[in-house]
Amino acid sequence: MKNYKMAWRNLWRNRRRTIITAASVFFAIFFALLMRSLQLGSYDHMFRNIIESYTGYIQIQQEDFWDNKIIDNVFEFTPALEKAVLSDENAKAVVPRIESFALASVGSLTKGVLVMGIDPEKENLLSGLRGKLVKYRLTIEAISNIKKSELPDKIKNELDQLKDKSFSGDEPLRVELGIKEKDANIMLAPFVKYATFKNNYLIESEKGVLIGDRLSKYLKLNTGDTLVLISQGYHATTAAAKFRVCGVVKLPSPEIDNMIIYMPYDVCQEFYNAPGKITSLAISVRKNSNKSIEAMISRLQTRLKPPLRIIGWREMNQLLLSQMDADNKSGMIIIGILYLVIAFGIFGTVLMMTAERRREFGVLVAIGMQKTKLGAVISIEMLYIGILGILSGIAVALPAILIGYYHPIRITGAAARIYEDYGMEPVMKFMPVDTYFLWQALIVAIIILIAIIYPLNKILRLNTASSLKA
Amino acid sequence: MIWKTAWKNVWRNPVRSTVVISSITVGVFAGVFSVAMMEGMVNQRMRSAIDEEISYIQVSAKGFRTDYDPALIINNSGKIESAIKNTPGVTGLCERIVLSGMANTARKSTGVQIVGINPDQEKEVFSLFRKIMPGTGTYFEKETQLNQVLIGQDLAKDLNIIQYSIDSAKLSELKVNGIPGNITDRLSVLTGKRFGSEKLFVKKLKSMFSASEAARYGQLIKDKAWTFREGSRLTLTFLDKDNNQVGAAVRVTGLYDIYNNIYEKNVVFVKNDDLRKLSGIPNNSFHQLIVKINSIDNTDVISSGLKIKLPDLEVLSWKEIQPDLALLSEMTQIYYAIFMLIILAALAFGIVNTMLMVVLERTKELGMLTAIGMNKKKVFTMIMLESVFMSVIGGIIGILISMLVISLTAKNGINFSQYSEGFEALGYSAHIYPEIAPLFFAEVVVLIIFTGILSSIYPARKALKLDPAEAIRTE
Repeated sequence: MKNYKMAWRNLWRNRRRTIITAASVFFAIFFALLMRSLQLGSYDHMFRNIIESYTGYIQIQQEDFWDNKIIDNVFEFTPALEKAVLSDENAKAVVPRIESFALASVGSLTKGVLVMGIDPEKENLLSGLRGKLVKYRLTIEAISNIKKSELPDKIKNELDQLKDKSFSGDEPLRVELGIKEKDANIMLAPFVKYATFKNNYLIESEKGVLIGDRLSKYLKLNTGDTLVLISQGYHATTAAAKFRVCGVVKLPSPEIDNMIIYMPYDVCQEFYNAPGKITSLAISVRKNSNKSIEAMISRLQTRLKPPLRIIGWREMNQLLLSQMDADNKSGMIIIGILYLVIAFGIFGTVLMMTAERRREFGVLVAIGMQKTKLGAVISIEMLYIGILGILSGIAVALPAILIGYYHPIRITGAAARIYEDYGMEPVMKFMPVDTYFLWQALIVAIIILIAIIYPLNKILRLNTASSLKA
Repeated sequence: MIWKTAWKNVWRNPVRSTVVISSITVGVFAGVFSVAMMEGMVNQRMRSAIDEEISYIQVSAKGFRTDYDPALIINNSGKIESAIKNTPGVTGLCERIVLSGMANTARKSTGVQIVGINPDQEKEVFSLFRKIMPGTGTYFEKETQLNQVLIGQDLAKDLNIIQYSIDSAKLSELKVNGIPGNITDRLSVLTGKRFGSEKLFVKKLKSMFSASEAARYGQLIKDKAWTFREGSRLTLTFLDKDNNQVGAAVRVTGLYDIYNNIYEKNVVFVKNDDLRKLSGIPNNSFHQLIVKINSIDNTDVISSGLKIKLPDLEVLSWKEIQPDLALLSEMTQIYYAIFMLIILAALAFGIVNTMLMVVLERTKELGMLTAIGMNKKKVFTMIMLESVFMSVIGGIIGILISMLVISLTAKNGINFSQYSEGFEALGYSAHIYPEIAPLFFAEVVVLIIFTGILSSIYPARKALKLDPAEAIRTE
């Protein structure tokens, strides 16, 4: 009989033990996969948020700007520069920006804000800014009006918790309220009627500004209101001007949402007395894999001369990367502990199996089975158990992960605040199938290979006569 | 008798029992120690938030906390203050004026919260005065002509007040600290140059030295080159009570350094009297009265007492000011429990397997025992006890080891300095001092006993189902 067949049959001679050992592997794999998926998915989501709505994958800046973000570290945005960048095969568009700080003041309220001068249309292509305009805002008034209309009580009860919340589209509102897609048209009608928020997008050369949702609440600003910005302009001139709010945007990163003001870049240049100058040029890319970004950076580096410098998203988000790294390591330690415990369990099983089957091994060797063949059969048995555990773990974890990936879990209430305080969107996102699946399988395989050493050693040193007496 | 038999049974196969016991030991130790690390981190965060940032209870005009509207002031604070001070349990009180504004240096500006304080009162409530970085000045102790401001280390970095420079005195100190001559010689080129930020200086160092040299001596050189010019000046811009823009030149009295980078970047302190003159806020008027109390456990009692006493004002406890902080400590408790349960569940698989083995191995013997009249309850108890004994031995050894390791590491802490920037951006220290509530050990012991019992049920039921007549005949 073939080794693998014999091993398979052996497995089911003691069904209970096989199932329990495989179940322990299953348990470890299941938890490890869910945890990794959740961790990696959250990182991925966080980076996408910040890269796609703020930094972009690659930027060109004046060489000192990144370390010293002052309005004096600017550079000239020329057609020649634009052409040079766009000639790169991976460049889709270039998006000019002026970024600086200012003091925003409305009545007696003031706050330090981040001013971003942008090209309205190009920026929209890069970060989809237009889609982030607030569509509904649930003011107290809106809520009381909506409550009068015909809606299920469950939704009405939830409304109070959403006081003053803004939504930038039908989809997030629908998900938050738990309305099914097919009911959306009818159920959202009262919201369209009472909670629609008036908004206009930026128009080039016009003195309107877009402000972050949280900032608008802090400064109590609505569309059409005026605010004053005070700052230091280019070469230490004074910059102060009035602006009209033309819209409110809701950005996923709470930190940025709480301090950002967008305005057309030509208006911004005028405000800072820096005509024709920008602080950074974000590049939207065709391929965003790490490899193509790195290649693009080195290509651009040869093409552009100082004082310009090329800076990638990794460098721009070093802090986030380091936090992620620390969190990632702590997650790995926890999974490591889990595997360590499971390894002991597996080793215990192997130990018992060897002791229990000592006589059987003796008989087999006595009737002429080669010790190496016996060893191979036992090893295959153990591997089968591992594979059973791994496969069943994946089989159960995968649907859960995929469901979590397509329907991210939104955290609400007080727990959401913890997330927001750490500058994260309160969403638990999973990472779909990736290399981390392989890693879990590999770890289990290594544990089993180590555990096999013990029975192999026993078999190779088997004293047939004495084992027969056992 | 059953207890004794069960105990002896544990040691009939010492190798097997040892494997199970050590797996429990390792699992419990790893679990408890991880929890101690997390607990240490969270507690440090809580303590520093309360001691340095928010204290226990804050009193302000209604709506101030959400709007920070400077027009919302507490007038005639004398009466209110004496009402607060007469409340039992209150141990300290300080008055604050809070304005939003900008901090500017010649080349940079950033938004800040300008907090007017009375330094002597502050010392009764906050421990921030102990967090002044050595060599950067004092906590408003020196008299100067210009108004003084206390700012955070990270704000100083942002405003380029901290610089990096090398001079001959520093070079010779570096030599004393054991840096080879050829390094200091090459470094001497930088004499007289100033670097506005850490990044620029590090970049320069990296271009001058090889990677291995930079890794070996970089930190020392960087620490030495760190320069803060005592009494640096900056301008604070804000709106006065009539909404006119005011700019005031101030001198930095010192830099404070806590673990919360966001707070460091955002909050600057000036004296109340100075801020009054500049902003026109009248005497005896404040935005906030901050109250320290004798124990964190009395927070709810005292704050609800104050709410009744001061119905026209907003009285907020730290739990209301930073609900996430209160929630964090609750959530971590749940997280610890889940974490331990997962580990114990993983351990349970090992125990179940072992106990099953025990039952199969002793089929004959168990059959014999039943045949001679041992009742089923006793057989069940015997097997269950054997499992519980193994779990408890493993658990207790695990707890003892973790107690030892925690007490060894609690003194000097464990420093993840390479991650300090990331930790501090979230308000945590990267230097973690593990700690644990003694009650947690009790919880773990209960959980372990529970695990032992649960994982013996299936094997014990197997034993009960044995038919004595058949069991005796097995070999």
